[in-house]
Amino acid sequence: MASETEGMPQGVFQCQLCAVSAPYSYVGQKPPNTRSVVLLEECYILKDPFTADRGRFLVLGSRCSICGRLVCVGPDCSLFYSKRFCLPCVRENMNAFPQEIRQDVEKRKALAKTPCGEPGSRT
Amino acid sequence: MPPPRTREGRGHREHPRAPCEEAPERWDWNHPDTRRLMEDAFFRDEDYIRQGSEECQKFWAFFERLQRFQSLKTARKEEEKDPEPCKHSIPALADLPRTYDPRYRINLSILGPDPWGSRELGRRLPPERVSEFRRALLHYLDFGQKQAFGRLAKLQRERVALPIAQYRKRILRTLREHQVVVVAGDTGCGKSTQVPQYVLAAGFSHVACTQPRRIACISLAKRVGFESLSQYGSQVGYQIRFESTRSAATKIVFLTVGLLLRQIQREPSLPQYQVLIVDEVHERHLHNDFLLGVLQRLLPRRPDLKVILMSATINITLFSSYFGGAPVVQVPGRLFPITVVYQPLEAEPTTARPEKLDPQPFLRVLEAIDKKYPPEERGDLLVFLSGVAEISAVLEAAQTYASHTQRWVVLPLHSTLAVADQDKVFDVAPPGVRKCILSTNIAETSVTIDGIRFVVDSASLSDSLLIFPRHQSFSVWAGCTCGQPAPSDSNTCESRNSAEALLPGLMKSMDVGDPRTFPFIEPPPAASLETAILYLRDQGALDSTESLTPIGSLLAQLPVDVVIGKMLILGSVFHLTEPVLTIAAALSVQSPFTRSAQSNPECAAARRPLESDQGDPFTLFNIFNSWVQVKSERSSDSRKWCRRRGIEEQRLYEMANLRRQFKDLLEDHGLLAGAQAPRPGDSHGRLRERRERQALLQLKRQHEEGGARRRKVLRLREEQEGGSSDEDAASGGRAAGHGVDIQDVKFKLRHNLEQLQAAATSAQDLTRDQMALLELVLGRGLYPQLAVPDPFNSGRKDSDQIFHTQTKQGTVLHPTCVFASSPEVLHAQKPENGPGPGSRGDKDKGSSRHQLLVFVSLLETNKPYLVNCVRIPALQSLLLFSRSLDTSGDCSRLVADGWLELQLADAESAVRLLAAALQLRAHWESILDRQLAHCTKRRLEEEEEEALTVSHKEVAALSRDLLQFMVPKIPYSLRRLTGLEVQNLYVGPQTIMATPSLPGVFGSSTLSPHPTKGGFIVTDFLTYNCLTSDTDLYSDCLRTFWTCPHCGLHMPLTPLERIAHENTCPDAPRDSLAGAEEAAPEPVQKASALQRPYRCETCQKDFVFTPTEVLRHRKQHV
Repeated sequence: MASETEGMPQGVFQCQLCAVSAPYSYVGQKPPNTRSVVLLEECYILKDPFTADRGRFLVLGSRCSICGRLVCVGPDCSLFYSKRFCLPCVRENMNAFPQEIRQDVEKRKALAKTPCGEPGSRT
Repeated sequence: MPPPRTREGRGHREHPRAPCEEAPERWDWNHPDTRRLMEDAFFRDEDYIRQGSEECQKFWAFFERLQRFQSLKTARKEEEKDPEPCKHSIPALADLPRTYDPRYRINLSILGPDPWGSRELGRRLPPERVSEFRRALLHYLDFGQKQAFGRLAKLQRERVALPIAQYRKRILRTLREHQVVVVAGDTGCGKSTQVPQYVLAAGFSHVACTQPRRIACISLAKRVGFESLSQYGSQVGYQIRFESTRSAATKIVFLTVGLLLRQIQREPSLPQYQVLIVDEVHERHLHNDFLLGVLQRLLPRRPDLKVILMSATINITLFSSYFGGAPVVQVPGRLFPITVVYQPLEAEPTTARPEKLDPQPFLRVLEAIDKKYPPEERGDLLVFLSGVAEISAVLEAAQTYASHTQRWVVLPLHSTLAVADQDKVFDVAPPGVRKCILSTNIAETSVTIDGIRFVVDSASLSDSLLIFPRHQSFSVWAGCTCGQPAPSDSNTCESRNSAEALLPGLMKSMDVGDPRTFPFIEPPPAASLETAILYLRDQGALDSTESLTPIGSLLAQLPVDVVIGKMLILGSVFHLTEPVLTIAAALSVQSPFTRSAQSNPECAAARRPLESDQGDPFTLFNIFNSWVQVKSERSSDSRKWCRRRGIEEQRLYEMANLRRQFKDLLEDHGLLAGAQAPRPGDSHGRLRERRERQALLQLKRQHEEGGARRRKVLRLREEQEGGSSDEDAASGGRAAGHGVDIQDVKFKLRHNLEQLQAAATSAQDLTRDQMALLELVLGRGLYPQLAVPDPFNSGRKDSDQIFHTQTKQGTVLHPTCVFASSPEVLHAQKPENGPGPGSRGDKDKGSSRHQLLVFVSLLETNKPYLVNCVRIPALQSLLLFSRSLDTSGDCSRLVADGWLELQLADAESAVRLLAAALQLRAHWESILDRQLAHCTKRRLEEEEEEALTVSHKEVAALSRDLLQFMVPKIPYSLRRLTGLEVQNLYVGPQTIMATPSLPGVFGSSTLSPHPTKGGFIVTDFLTYNCLTSDTDLYSDCLRTFWTCPHCGLHMPLTPLERIAHENTCPDAPRDSLAGAEEAAPEPVQKASALQRPYRCETCQKDFVFTPTEVLRHRKQHV
């Protein structure tokens, strides 16, 4: 019974930047139905809709640790560097971040301009 | 549980003890033992990734790539050191890690194996290797998250980009303000997938969405479930004729129009729904139009019911005005940039094989795509072809090309393909490889395949190919490969014919009056309604006044093909339910014989013992029963057993499912005594049973979690094998789950194997009489679908045997038909040995062995094929089944249904037989009527058990008489009338005619002249003496002297008068009916099927009681 209710949506997550939205079923650092993975931030989580495995989860987003906005994990909205930062905050405080992050943010900006760029699809 | 060990998780220095000194340079990540060691530690059953799962394999592939990537990177990395440390005023930024490490970008941590818990492991795993592994795993999980989120985001982007998305608010607003809304939009605007979701998101529940086709119900439910991110099967479900994923949680259900009509039939106000979406209303067929008519009447009574009509942008005002000017929301369709390339076919010298399709042009398309588009640019190819033969021709050539270039995976798509193979078109090709889907294009079903970029349409153009690169996903028509869907296909695609044919019956049963005057949105073409009504009359569902016959009213409630329904009903009357269930199920699924098995002599030989020379349904019957036996003895072998015989096992599973559903139907309709309570058995047995069941459930769950079928990546190699032998591919896909045959597991969970086995065993014990009755049941069920062998067949080659139906000449047997390999059993004359009793007067083809074929379907491809045939003796069958029988004056010449002429050598036996047939038919009909009336009554009054109005005795008597009727060997000739003869068949109305007074022959009723044929109406099917005859005009008044063997009467009499005398002769022994009753073999104590032996522990006595009697008895002791 417990596992039945765990999968039920608790509410709808919506990114305050890109407006992507999805029902979430859990908020916190310990995703349900799995014991071996913990999260390093308070996340909005959905049972992974792309697999039938109950233990799989999908992190939708969390709050920016500077401005507190609810943002999705999409590369155009936020990044994680030991904490979650929304991209506007990252850009405002660019120099607080190591060079790798700065480069990455620049790259994203460039990519966002060219259509159908799907970052991270090639390894 | 301690707080997340983030710090340690990242540090290199966990696991302080590392006694494993075995040189780290010897560490080999690629060694299976090494991997197993890590898997044992990290991929346990409770972990995120499980050992041996598909995920596990993916991880190692990722791991290898990561290692390569990192070895490249570390070389450069060394010199880059700390950036300037900068204390930040914002606290969140103040404690950012000084040194960059990619791990800091991952928001997950893995709780590894507890190093204290398993000392053993800790000793064998060097800590630096563990952290290396851990890091890789982190990256892998992060990668997975990114991928999944990317998909989710893409899904949303696509939804938002659909033209209909901008109309969401308007649609919902209009729906709140009005009861009926018309949403009009062309293909691709997204109405079918989006509107249901909008309605759900707006807070409506109990939504039904009708689709004209079953397959659309399934695929839409899948798609909408997927898009709405709810696990498919919970909130979004579908319901089609025999399948349902509906549950208590279901908020929206996709269902066929026919099914919704049946729900209305049961509950006219449709209380179970809040919103009704009728999709594709522009597809004008009777069902949809009828539904609209019913809704129009219903709406005033259900003001709270909302209706959305979705249509293409044609005829919008028609729908709007039919519902009192309902508002219309019109949505523009999506336009894809399409480039059309014509590739004229070179006029090549036509080779010797004009029939076979030349695959060359198609190969040139593949080549052209390979040349023009780099492999990184994804996009698959869809080729429309006109039939299965064309598909296999192109398939073969394309596969050769594909194996050569390694850049294509070629997949066929047509309805006769195994389901697992059909599903492959949804899988993705590996990087650098494209899918080439070869599909039939005759529309019965629609599926949407993502990623198609190129389309080749060859079917409509004979001299050029049309290639148009397209974007995005769009609908593909697939399905039936022939213009007329075969009824045997009916479980995959609703055979429109039969569905439509039943409509008038449905309308009659819903009391909406005459179908012809029903206020349809537009009156349907009169011809189609008339055809449907005529079909139902032919099938005996409507009588001559077009009211439902008892059998018709039951058929209107059974959601099955008319023919199958008739068989089930007739079978239940003769207590042949079990075998008839199997046969009905077998005839309702696609042929289980695989294509390749047809040509394989080994398969044919292995199958031979299962073949029945009575006909194909009996062969299928044998196959199913033997398969059940194999399953119950050694279930793991059943797949092999099937493959060896060239049988697609999937079809047998479908038969089992369908058989069960038929059984439920019969029980629901009171045609079958309720499910027999399973034998209680001892507690041991029950415990064992429960354990087995649990083990099976466990297996099923494991399979579902592990091998969840989303899209898989196709393998190049597998495909090349898959094309040549489809059964391997089909089973190969299924075997994935740890060698478990998941189909077998599901089968055992769904069915009581013991019960099935019992049915299969009893099938082997069917007596010859029961078999003969079964044939009669099939014969009457399939009637009037019958064919007569051509008289010259015995002189023809096996492959040239031809048959004629009433409307179609020169049909042939389907190659899988048992008679195709042994046509001699159909020949009226044995080649040499003269026919026994008939040899005396056979100047022309007087034989008693004439046979007819009744068939399940007529499949028209390159030739008209008869599919699933049963042979039946011609004379007796026609006498019993014909809807119209016309006789000559002495009854020696009979014409059945206006196209088959029977000429009996002996007029006396003709009259005798005819009289017997009349009696039998009346008797049979009365039993059937009473049985059916009983069923409906029982259903209405919810009366349990008791008093079958038709006694076993009566049925036994009828069975006996029927069997006796089949016995006589009377020589006769059988012939199909020519068109000219048919025109001049009847004498026509006569002005002066003496009414023959022949009490006893045709019953006691007085005869009235037939208004058009002439002669006299004896019963609704028999017309006496209406045939024109050029030979003996006076036969009906030719009398010869005759002495009655019983009373000694000596008089000149016509044969007819002779029989009349015999039937009324006071001294004649009454044998037929009276005798039967005495001989009724049915044991007496079986009077109620519900009675069971019962031993009362209190009074220590044994009884035979029904459950209610048991209760009554127990009360005495209280």
